[in-house]
Parts: sequence; C-alpha cells; structure tokens
Amino acid sequence: MISHRLTASALAICVSATALTAHHFYGPYPVTLKSYSGDKTNSVSYGGQIARQAMEQSLKKLASTGNGGGNAADVEAQMMQYFSGPTKDLAILSPASKDGFKIKQTTIGELSSSANLEGKFYKGLMPAWPGNHTGVDVMKDMISRAAKSNKGFDAENGYDYAQLISKFTMGAVQYSQAVDNYLDEKMTADVKPNDMPYKEGKHYTGKEHSWDEGFGYFGAPTHTLAITPAAAYDIAKRKDMASADRNGDGVVDLKSEMVFGPAYYAAAFDKSGNTNYLASIMQAYIDGRKVISGAQGEKLSATELAVIKSHAGTIEENWEKVLAEAVFKYAGSVYKDIAAMKENGVDDKSYRKYVKHWGELAGFSMAIQSGRKNLGAAAVEMNKLIGFGPVTADNSYVTGVDGNGNFVRDRKMTWSDYQLNMLKIQKLVSDTFGVKSRANDMLDELAKVSAAADADTNAETD
Amino acid sequence: MEDLIQTLAKFGLYLDTYLTSLSADFLNHKKRIFIGYLAISTVMAVVFLCAWRGLGIRGAVGKVFDKKIFWSKSAKADYFIYAINRIISILISPYLIAQGVVTTFLFFQLSKQNVVGFQSLDHWPSLLIITFYTLAYFFMDDLSKYIVHRCMHSWQFLWAFHKVHHSAETMTPITVYRVHPVESIIYGLRGSIVIGAVIGTFAYCFGIDNFSLATLLGVNLFSFIFNVAGANLRHSHIEIAYWPWLEKIFISPAQHQLHHSIENKHFNKNYGAMLAVWDWLFGSLHFSETGEKLKFGLRPTEASSTNIVQIYLRPFIDVYRLLKNSGKKLILLSNSLKFLVRSVGKD
Repeated sequence: MISHRLTASALAICVSATALTAHHFYGPYPVTLKSYSGDKTNSVSYGGQIARQAMEQSLKKLASTGNGGGNAADVEAQMMQYFSGPTKDLAILSPASKDGFKIKQTTIGELSSSANLEGKFYKGLMPAWPGNHTGVDVMKDMISRAAKSNKGFDAENGYDYAQLISKFTMGAVQYSQAVDNYLDEKMTADVKPNDMPYKEGKHYTGKEHSWDEGFGYFGAPTHTLAITPAAAYDIAKRKDMASADRNGDGVVDLKSEMVFGPAYYAAAFDKSGNTNYLASIMQAYIDGRKVISGAQGEKLSATELAVIKSHAGTIEENWEKVLAEAVFKYAGSVYKDIAAMKENGVDDKSYRKYVKHWGELAGFSMAIQSGRKNLGAAAVEMNKLIGFGPVTADNSYVTGVDGNGNFVRDRKMTWSDYQLNMLKIQKLVSDTFGVKSRANDMLDELAKVSAAADADTNAETD
Repeated sequence: MEDLIQTLAKFGLYLDTYLTSLSADFLNHKKRIFIGYLAISTVMAVVFLCAWRGLGIRGAVGKVFDKKIFWSKSAKADYFIYAINRIISILISPYLIAQGVVTTFLFFQLSKQNVVGFQSLDHWPSLLIITFYTLAYFFMDDLSKYIVHRCMHSWQFLWAFHKVHHSAETMTPITVYRVHPVESIIYGLRGSIVIGAVIGTFAYCFGIDNFSLATLLGVNLFSFIFNVAGANLRHSHIEIAYWPWLEKIFISPAQHQLHHSIENKHFNKNYGAMLAVWDWLFGSLHFSETGEKLKFGLRPTEASSTNIVQIYLRPFIDVYRLLKNSGKKLILLSNSLKFLVRSVGKD
C-alpha cells in the first residue's frame, strides 16, 4: 500500500516537473520558419541584447577609472569603444568570474559580433540633463565628464557618473528598445512578419526574433520562474552559483543563466514581498513567445497579435513600475542621506554616499523618461524637483552649462527644501505609477508618526 | 467544497478577530476602560464614599458595585450595544478615512506656501518641541471634541444619533460605548481630521521624525492623567465633584453626570471632555449639584433605553422625518417665493 502511494507520489512529482519544464522556462522553442532547411532546432536568439547588458555593466566599471584628468583621453576612448564599438574583441569587465561564480564568456564577441549601445540608444530629447541634448548626446557628455573625473566622482557638482551612466542606459537602451521597439512597432502586422525570416538566411521568423530580443533586454535567465526573487538578486550579485547554473555545467552562461540590471531591480523590489514584477514580466514573455511559436511559421492573426500586445502591455506596465520603484527608493535614500548629514555634519563619506544615491535617482528618472510613453507633466515635475544636480556641500546646485560646456551653479537651496523635493518626488511617483514595494518610504514615516498618535484613543465619546 | 472551507476559514478568522476585540479595550492601557484605570476609579470611588459620604468600607463597596445599577435593563443594553458595536467597527473601519491621509494631505498643502519653510523650526530644543506638540495635540483634540459634542446636541440630525448615548438610565463605565455607530464614525473622523492636521503641521514645521508626544507608560500624558484621575466615574452613579474654581478648568464626574440629567435646566450644559474651559468660555458651563439626586436618560417618547432595535434604527427614522419636514418647508418656501415673484411681476 505504502509503495503504491510512493509510486503515485513520484509520478505526481514527475508530472509536475514536466509541467514546470513545459511552461516555466523561456525556450528552447522549435524552428518554425517554413523556408528554413538547415539543422538548427532552437529558434531562440538574443546574444546582441545580452552583449549590451554586459557593455552597460562594463561601461559602469570604466566610468570609475578616471584619475582626475591625467588619463581622461584614454578612459574616454575606452568608454566610447564600449559605447559605440567595435565591441567584438572587448573584454567583459562586468560581470566577471570570481571565486565560486565562474562565468562562461569573457569577451563581448562571445555574445555578439557587432552589437553596440550607441545604435540602440534613446534619441529623443532628455531634458533632465543640462544642455538640451538628445539621450544619446547626454550619454556622450556623461562619458566625457566621467573620464575627466576622479573615479567617476565629481564632488564639486555632485555627480557619480558610474551610477548616472549605468541607470540611464538601463532605460535608454534596455527599457526603451524593449517597450518602444521590439514589443511595440515590431509586434504590428506588417513589420517583421512571422512567415518570413528576421533577416535573410536566419533560421528564426521576424516575430520570433523580435520577441526574443525584447526578452534579452530584460536581462532575466531563462529559468527565472524556477527561482525566487531573492535567488535572482543573489545571482546578479554573483553570490548564488547553484541557482544560476541551471544546466549544471559548472559555469554561468551569460546568455541564459545570468541576471542583469532590469531583472535585478525587479527581483530587488519583489524581495519586499509586496510586488511580483519579475515573475509577471517573465510569465508575459513566455506566454507571448508561446503564441508566436504556436503560429507555426504562419503570419500572426489579428487575434494572436492582440494577445501578444496584451502580454507586451503587461511587460511594459510592470517594467515601468520597476523603474518608478527605483526613483521612489532613491528619493528616499537622498532624503535620509541629507538627514544624516544635517545630524552629523557633512564629511567625505556621507557626501559620497549622498551623491551616489542622487546619481541613482537621476539615472532612473532619465531611464523612465526614455520609454514609449510621454510622461508629460509628471516628467516635467520630476525633473524640476530633482534638478540638474543635487544640492552640494555649499548649498549650490547645477542650473545649466555655460558656452564652454562648464556646469553653472548660480543658485542655492537649503538642505530642508531639497528634502521636501524628495518627499514630493515620492508622492508624485506614488500617485503617477502606483508603486507598491515602496522602499525607503518617507511618506510612510509621516503616516507612522500619525498612526503613533493613535486616533482610536480619541474616538471615545461622552 | 473548497469554497466552503474557505468561507469557514474566513468566518473563523472574523470570529477570532471579534472575540479578541471584545476584550482588547480592557487590556489596552490607551483605552479608558483598561482594567487598571477601572481599578483606580473603583478605589477612588470607595475612598470618596468613605471620606466624604461617611460610608463604611463595606457600604462603599456595596454602593460602587450596586447590582441595581450594573444589572439594570439599561446597563444590560449597554453591554449588548458594546458587543454589537464591536462587530460593526470591524466591518466599517477599513472604509474610514485614515488619519495618515489627512496628515499627508495637509503636509503637502503647507508645502505650497512660501512663508514657512519645511523643517524651518527644527532647531528648536527638543523639550520645547515635545511640550508644544503635546499641548497643541491636547487642546485641539479637546476643543474639537467640545465643538462636535455641542453640535451633536444643537443639530437635530446629529442629536437623532447622539441621543442613543443619552438614553442610558443608569450609567456604568461601559456606557461610554453606548454610542450609535454613525456617531462613532463622526467622532472617528473628527480625530482623523484634527489630529491629522496637527501632525501634518508639526511634521512640516519641525520635520517628519523630529517631534513626539510626551507620554507616561507609552500613553499620551494628558490621556493618562485623565484616565488615572477617574475618567470612568463620569459614567457612574458616584457623584464626585470638584471645587467650583476647578470645575471651571476640568469637568468633574458630577458635572458630566449632570450633562446626562433628564432635567430641563440641565439640558445643553457641560459638553467638555477633559477641559471645562470651553464650556466656561462659550457659556455652557454648569457647576455640579451634588445635593440633588440626578435622574438620567430621556423621555420614552424620545428614545428607548433598552429596545436594541429601536436604539439602532430609530435615529434613521428620525432623520427621515426631519428630512421630510425640511422638504415640506422648502416646498412651502419655494411656493411663497414664486407667489411673491408673480405678485411683483403683476404690479
């Protein structure tokens, strides 16, 4: 009797494991292109997107290598190569192997032979940075200034270029390309149709590859749904080899087993337990891809396209919220940093931390403005509250650039007023995007002070 | 089957919440009927009866726990209302406006003006901030209670609900819970708005986490003093009075008992919660009259003291009648105006 039960249980486990395999991993998906006669069996491919994830992280690393001007030309040249290419022979500076976390690829060329960031960078206006530049020009300006700075840090103006470059890119390339290109125009009927190869000679269809590229920009491993947000977070931090190495070959394949920026932040917020961004986005990617595979190389019907657009909508909505959560979180960090500096005085360490958090705040604010949607008044308000730069040690802040491209800091603001701006940002982001994770929620501190007064006590009547 | 299990589980959860809430206020030292405060009030009552009324200990204890009071039909109705109101409170509390919402709203409204900056007073010594906040909290809380209470007696629509509280013919500490749910909502809103506004203002001027209430054993200092000073005796038959000068400052138990008196001459007097100052300032103060045996409650034509259905539903019927009468008066007024306009037109 017991053995029967054991057999039944084992069978049940096998069945559910099969179900998990079938439904919970991104790929492999069969080749459906009718005109293809080669021997490839998996139509999934997004190496270029993973290459750009690695370029973004490597660029962040390089942004901290300036020595205050002496090596500016070299650093700028190196950064520009990671930004504009050619990138094929460049080393992956980050993520790199470390003890207990061995990464399979070491060069960009192992991921993609021709990808670069510049070609895919957001080219709309980016009013959050002084100079009235397009997104791509803002990035070039940041690269140039980072190269001249001391380890990416500009104390005088309050900039942390590693943070600004990394976070802005996460929106201006990954988010922008995914939600405003691959999951948008390329999911319309006449663009990259499903009954044609993506490009001449390729073994995947137009729609298959467009969707895969959109997935690659999210930076999640194919087995995301089989791990917890905490494990995904640790993979990005290179702390959890066991969770990363899905196929057990002893190395982490950046193409399918690594967690990069956008997915990392989704996981980070999901760890709070209040949100489910990572799984929601991942499930939508899987469900959308199944619709495309299910079309068996035929043109997608209007119904199928509508379903795919709905999944794309889920991805965009959740991804936008992740970026909004980050703006919310770092506005709270900046608020707390100022409170600490007011309490204990401004020293190098506390000021450095404050500038780092401001860089993350401003970078994510630029990122969320690089998407498909025009955020309108919310973006204008956010830029006004954050400013071109943080309030610096002498209370001045960057208000623009002069004719020579030097930052101008001709206005001052008190720490308290800037803290108030941070609270207003949290309220604005909360009202506009409906954030739920709410890390560093200073508005909640306000509510807690109120709750501590305990209105119930006063409900007694006479 | 699964639905049934889920429904039962939900019911079990509600039942558990309810049973816990029944005893919660007796065990919460922030509440007036906390057993500690009840014990202190009992001792005060016994000492008062022995020292000022000349009763022996046994006699005093017997009078304090008078069965005719605690097991009267009116008191039993109080206990029943207490139990029913707990259920209603669990059901409606999630829909009531949160104090934090008012605080946040006012905070951001203040941020739109340019006269006082955020945290512009945060350099004040913390002791001064605590004192200032505790006093502002206390005075605003108490004044708003006075105003709302006075409105409850002055406006017929509110009196329809408030008279539930006044229908008690005998009073025990539980009578404080003999309140129509609509009145509870109004009082809750008052707390949320007034305290939310005070906190919003202080958070803006002094900083979010830069102020706190002066407390004793974790309880608002003034609430603690009020409760320790025998607040439970105001709903009782122990008529402790203060000296007249003190009754101009603080409402004594006897003054509040007079507020519950059925006598016409005692109507609309002593609305104050803790402070009598508001009554004194706004002409509604009445000193206690301890020589006179007070009769509590309302005339049967106005409200029942024991019929639970009437207690809960009659206020709505009264409000309906008031609205109907108001409607008739409005129609009459409108017709008179039309007639007047027509007459003027003819001339």
